[in-house]
Amino acid sequence: MKDLPTALKLQAHLDGELAPDEAREVVSLLQRDAEAHALFDELKGTRRVLAANEPEIKLPESREFYWSKIRRELERLEREPQVRPQRVWGIARWLRLALPACAVLVFAVVMLHRPAFAPGPGSPLFAVGDEIETPLEELNSFTFRSESARMTVVWVSDSFVN
Amino acid sequence: MSQPIQHAQADEAVLIPAAQEGDMAAFEELVARHRDKAYARAFSILRNEDDALDVTQEAWVKIWQRLKQFHGNSSFATWVTRIVINLCLDQLRKQKRLQAESIEQLDEDAGGVERLMPAVILNPTERLERSELRRRIDEALAKLSVEHRTALVLHEFEELEYKEVAKRMGCSIGTVMSRLFYARRKLAALLAGLKREEFT
Repeated sequence: MKDLPTALKLQAHLDGELAPDEAREVVSLLQRDAEAHALFDELKGTRRVLAANEPEIKLPESREFYWSKIRRELERLEREPQVRPQRVWGIARWLRLALPACAVLVFAVVMLHRPAFAPGPGSPLFAVGDEIETPLEELNSFTFRSESARMTVVWVSDSFVN
Repeated sequence: MSQPIQHAQADEAVLIPAAQEGDMAAFEELVARHRDKAYARAFSILRNEDDALDVTQEAWVKIWQRLKQFHGNSSFATWVTRIVINLCLDQLRKQKRLQAESIEQLDEDAGGVERLMPAVILNPTERLERSELRRRIDEALAKLSVEHRTALVLHEFEELEYKEVAKRMGCSIGTVMSRLFYARRKLAALLAGLKREEFT
């Protein structure tokens, strides 16, 4: 057999994949090299036989049975898109309810853990470095920051109202 | 007022737009007309009846979903077959039966004993009935590796150029050329009735 690059060139010539210059070289090779010519003829013969005799393969199922399976799948998929948006909407709706619920829960936890009395300066809870900030007294709230306990509490009270 | 379509007698130029508008009976008729070709192509690549049935059914579902993307740039049959082929190649990749390019594949791509084989004179049409010849071609195709057979099917039966075959198989043009070359040589040997001992 010819070396592989030459053989592949012969094949590419047969398949019409060579540039004109290369095609001319191959034609010249075919004229002077019997082995190349024999290989080219074999490739050409195989190609011709295949082109004219593709195996006839029939679907092994009846038209009705084959179509029924396709139709069932199409019907299933047609129903599916109506479910999908609902699922997406379901998640959105759940989030819409869950997020405020979480906020309320966090607020409740903070409130449950607040001191039972309103701490003030002089209270034993206070230590050096603690800060009390009441930026807006009319809102009845102040912030308590304890550096020693490393915590901040926002305390809301109606004591000013009473 | 438009007449109802007689699907069984209707031309594809009528059936396709009707199916694109959601006429499932028109689509059923299109499936009936092209199902054998689609299945044959899937089977020629996968060589497994169940896989070929599954892939073609999946293909018809995709075709229905993408019908509006068909603008008639190629024939409907070609469009359908291309979708089937893509799904077959996906299936082979999933099954890891199709190697893009790997060291393990080098020997297979290098053609094994076919590289040593002298050229054969192939003229079986003189001796065989056409149906017998087709049966022998089918048997010979089954004996090729997945890579060699796929390259051959895409090039010889689908008439794709080297670069198109390479693109679909995910390999280089050089690999396609060598796969095609050795596939042809092996097929020639099988059809000529040569046994390996005769040329090794």
